[in-house]
Amino acid sequence: MNKKGDKLISVYWFVILFIVAAAIVYMVHTFYGKPYDVRQIEADLLISKIARCVSEGGYLKEGVFGEDFKGNFGNFCNLNLQVEDSYGWREQEQYYLGVEILKFDSYEKVLSLQEGNKQLKDFCGQNEKNFPICLERSLYSLDKEGNSYKINLISIVRKTEKNVY
Amino acid sequence: MRKKSNKKGEILTENIIFLILNLVFLSILAIFLFSRTASAAVLEERYAKQIALALDAAESGMIIHLEMGDALKMAEKNSINFGTIVTIRENIVTVRLRDGAGYSYSFFNNAQITARFDTESEEKYYFVIE
Repeated sequence: MNKKGDKLISVYWFVILFIVAAAIVYMVHTFYGKPYDVRQIEADLLISKIARCVSEGGYLKEGVFGEDFKGNFGNFCNLNLQVEDSYGWREQEQYYLGVEILKFDSYEKVLSLQEGNKQLKDFCGQNEKNFPICLERSLYSLDKEGNSYKINLISIVRKTEKNVY
Repeated sequence: MRKKSNKKGEILTENIIFLILNLVFLSILAIFLFSRTASAAVLEERYAKQIALALDAAESGMIIHLEMGDALKMAEKNSINFGTIVTIRENIVTVRLRDGAGYSYSFFNNAQITARFDTESEEKYYFVIE
């Protein structure tokens, strides 16, 4: 039996074992070391909630052009945009919502409302992982008289510290 | 005078050491993987976010049942009362599976929501959205 050759094989065996282990540790650390990023789902749920609040069954909901909606559409849509007191989030709002209603034929703006942190809008359109998640949706709706409208919705979720790092 | 070595015994010892080293190595790797994937911190974050998203999507009048078997096992291990694992204050859900403050995440649904431990199944939590 070639003893020198045996020893060499066992050294190589450990080298391979270390390489495999290092790769597994690296992959696990990469996957589990970062927080779960749920902002895309959150922004999607937020925009769906606003859409259901503005329009139902293809018709604009009652009160959409009323003072209650204009004054505080977050409250009107049963939304609470307060966040936990960590990473200074209480001082810097973590959400932005926008609703724009346009006449379908003339694209004349009938209503434009915003709520939350307006500065977050500046980050939209830039594909950086540390930036807030922006989501835009459009839908069409009718009023009781049969006039058609285009509704543009935008929702932005920041919450970077708990979802990216 | 050179001592004659016992070649059979030497080969056996070398092989045993080699096997033990392999086992030790693989055990350390398995412990590392288990500690990373099923740690209390990972479970706290996972459940807090999962509950927050479920509540965001919920409508008034709904009751949501959530299977939390692995979280309950972890809480039991760390002597945490099952009734206090999930708490909801205003619109912030907190999951606590070990000593400490736990993991908190906010949801935007403004409905009145209460979290209760299902004492019948002892594996679930349920959330009542009013």
